[in-house]
Amino acid sequence: MSETSSNMNSENARLRLAAILREPVVLALFAIIILLGIGEAVSPGFARGDQIIKLLTVAALLGFAAAGQNLVVLAGGEGIDLSVGAMISLGAVIAGNVMDGSNGGIIPAVIVASGVTFLIGMVNGLGVNLIRIPPLVMTLGMTSVIQGGLVVFSRGIPSGNAAPALMNFINQPVVFGIPGILFIWLVLIIGMVFMLRATAFGLSIYAVGANPQAARLVGLPVKAIRTIVFGLSGALAGLTGVFVIGYTGNSFISVGDQYMLPSIIAVVIGGTSLAGGSGGYIGTVAGAIALILLQSVLTTLHLEFWGRQLIFGGTLLLLLMFYGRQKSARI
Amino acid sequence: MSPAITVRDLTKRFDKVHALTDGRLTVERGEIHALLGANGCGKSTLSKIVAGAYAPTSGTVLIDGKEVSFRSPRDAEQMGIALFYQELSLIPKMSVEANIFLRREPRNGLGFIDRDRMRAETLKLLEMFKEAVGDDIRPDALVADLTPGQRQIVEILKVYAKEPRIVIMDEATAALDGRQVKVFFDILRKKREEGVSTIFISHRLDEVFEICDHATIMRNGAVVAETTIADTTPEHVVHMMVGDVKKAPKRQLRDEDDKAPLLKLDAVGSAQLDNVSLSVAPGEIVGLGGLQGQGQSTLLRSLFGALPITSGEVLLNNEPVSIRKPADAVHRKIAYVSGDRGPDAALPGRSIFENLAAAILVSERRKLVRAKELQPQLAGVASAFKTKYARMTDAIGTLSGGNQQKIFIARWLATNPQLILLDDPTKGIDLAAKADLFALIRGLADSGVAVLLYSSEESELLDNCDRIAVFNDGAIVTELSGAEMDSFHLTRAAYGEA
Ligand SMILES: Nc1ncnc2c1ncn2[C@@H]1O[C@H](COP(=O)(O)OP(=O)(O)OP(=O)(O)O)[C@@H](O)[C@H]1O
Ligand SMILES: [Mg+2]
Repeated sequence: MSETSSNMNSENARLRLAAILREPVVLALFAIIILLGIGEAVSPGFARGDQIIKLLTVAALLGFAAAGQNLVVLAGGEGIDLSVGAMISLGAVIAGNVMDGSNGGIIPAVIVASGVTFLIGMVNGLGVNLIRIPPLVMTLGMTSVIQGGLVVFSRGIPSGNAAPALMNFINQPVVFGIPGILFIWLVLIIGMVFMLRATAFGLSIYAVGANPQAARLVGLPVKAIRTIVFGLSGALAGLTGVFVIGYTGNSFISVGDQYMLPSIIAVVIGGTSLAGGSGGYIGTVAGAIALILLQSVLTTLHLEFWGRQLIFGGTLLLLLMFYGRQKSARI
Repeated sequence: MSPAITVRDLTKRFDKVHALTDGRLTVERGEIHALLGANGCGKSTLSKIVAGAYAPTSGTVLIDGKEVSFRSPRDAEQMGIALFYQELSLIPKMSVEANIFLRREPRNGLGFIDRDRMRAETLKLLEMFKEAVGDDIRPDALVADLTPGQRQIVEILKVYAKEPRIVIMDEATAALDGRQVKVFFDILRKKREEGVSTIFISHRLDEVFEICDHATIMRNGAVVAETTIADTTPEHVVHMMVGDVKKAPKRQLRDEDDKAPLLKLDAVGSAQLDNVSLSVAPGEIVGLGGLQGQGQSTLLRSLFGALPITSGEVLLNNEPVSIRKPADAVHRKIAYVSGDRGPDAALPGRSIFENLAAAILVSERRKLVRAKELQPQLAGVASAFKTKYARMTDAIGTLSGGNQQKIFIARWLATNPQLILLDDPTKGIDLAAKADLFALIRGLADSGVAVLLYSSEESELLDNCDRIAVFNDGAIVTELSGAEMDSFHLTRAAYGEA
């Protein structure tokens, strides 16, 4: 091989490496490794297998909530679902009351919780697409409605219990020391990736997010697609609620609130553009894990609450600034 | 005196793609210099480097004999260089005036935007095109509401608002009709007298021979020739650019009367259409002529369900149809190719494959994409008119303007339509590919497809249509066929003197 062509090859390799390193998924993976390193250094045992599995269990819950968020954001039109937190709470309360501690109630609980939240999500979607209420306003409004409804329904008292089988499935190892929730997450990951890459519906979500007018002009039902993603987001949040009550045992009416903001952050640091039309679920998975790890590292640092918040917020701003810069090209 | 621009040994790589391997160019002061070549040969890349929008991989750019190295378009503007962006740099949701003065708004003493001055200066700029557009473009109109031609005019004004000494017009005439081009050329000539140097990029050779002094010809990223326009012929230039070009095939003779029309319009009306009656038989290519914006695009979009039809009847294969949305049209095997690719066709950030597959997924009501099976099929369609791309998985934005447009045409031809609505479809496509495209369209017509074609370029209608319905103010004023199909009759009819 001549010298120039081997130079060219190494130049090519360097460019390709640089391109790969700019991939959000890869960045999130780096963040994960670094965070694990810091955690292990501060508190030996942090990166032990069973600890990691515990972290992944928490990340799985966030991953479920963020899956729906991801679809809403991908479909564009300033799509965002601020009601996932309330939907999770609703799903948890419904599941707790349907199961009420009995294993036979698990499947009905899943069906009712995700069914009801799907319908509420569709209402979000219709409000946004038919009445043209901005997604931010619509889903924030829906959050208040759901929270109000929950207060009236439960009179503020925690109600309902998780079935023991559900709790075991989520908290206890099923095979190889891995709890069932992680297998379900794996199924969701495969399902999401398959849907987004291999089905016409998945490609339509991207098309609608990338350019709604062009999508309409190839015959895609833009409003219907942008409505359904809200329904799916609702259903996935409702399902998350079922898992959350399985994780904690019982539910209270604000159990889902803590997932709202992280579901958006996981999507964004996973490389999905808030403008819609680009990104994917693998990134969101990495984003969810990185986020949970960050929280966990900050907890092990034994910082005061405000210190944790400060570092958490600062790190996120840093990450977001980095992603923001990537998108802006020279015009 | 040193030339206004000298470019030497310029190269540019994008990852693995060598977009430019040997960029050379000399443009004198007060000269209109053509930059010619097939789609993807590197014209826009060279232009963007000169205008500071791209950094070169290697090579030098000299302005007035002094080497420059721009870090942004701002730097280049400060040296008096302004670029007309082929894919337009306008923000659709902002007004005409705000776009023209974007980031250069006139300020008053307090540092606030001086709206009165901005309005006055915009009106003064619009005055330059008054002869072609009248008062149709208002300074406070949203760019999104303008026709493609009007948007190009605004982009041209945005360039001249910077009062540049060196102007690069990258396919600035692509969506302009004959009258608009004439006014634009008057402006170019006036600027030439004032000493402004213009680099003029166009796939319309007649324009080049009308307005340019010199030409630089590129092929595959490299400059292959420089010539004085007066010393050469269009044939020779084409030969240097692309080799040989097919002649547009003529329609095969057929017995017209025994064919029932595939499409029949009976007094179709809407806000912008006035009693349009027209029928198109299978095998026919019918042109929609006239000045821009007289209802041709509106008719095509309305037939496709993208705009409402409020009166009259549309018959497809002798059956009245009601097409309320594009999806209805797609399922009736109607295709609509828009030349206004930015807003109408591009799925930015998505792959070439996704951009190609968008229509066929809908028309075949696919649930699964089955990319393995679809990719070769779509690649076959795209290659029929020389679409140049590296990998199907690359983003659509990595293609040159003309090659993007070919993808959006292939998107529709892949759906096996029975009726093809072409709305200025060849915007940005080079001569050779255009000839291939129309040979393909003629082939489809011969196999029974009906075609409606609007083009801002008169010769495209005259060369490829079997007859031409001429539009004025939303109505068909005349139909030209046979011996009347020439530039004289078409122009006369367009101005409403027929
Ligand atoms: N951002 C980019 N990334 C990767 N490749 C690019 C990019 N921009 C241009 N190219 C490639 O560089 C080559 C030259 O493109 P360019 O846009 O300069 O062509 P052009 O001569 O302007 O063509 P056209 O007549 O179609 O406008 C093409 O092969 C194109 O695919
Ligand atoms: Mg170009």
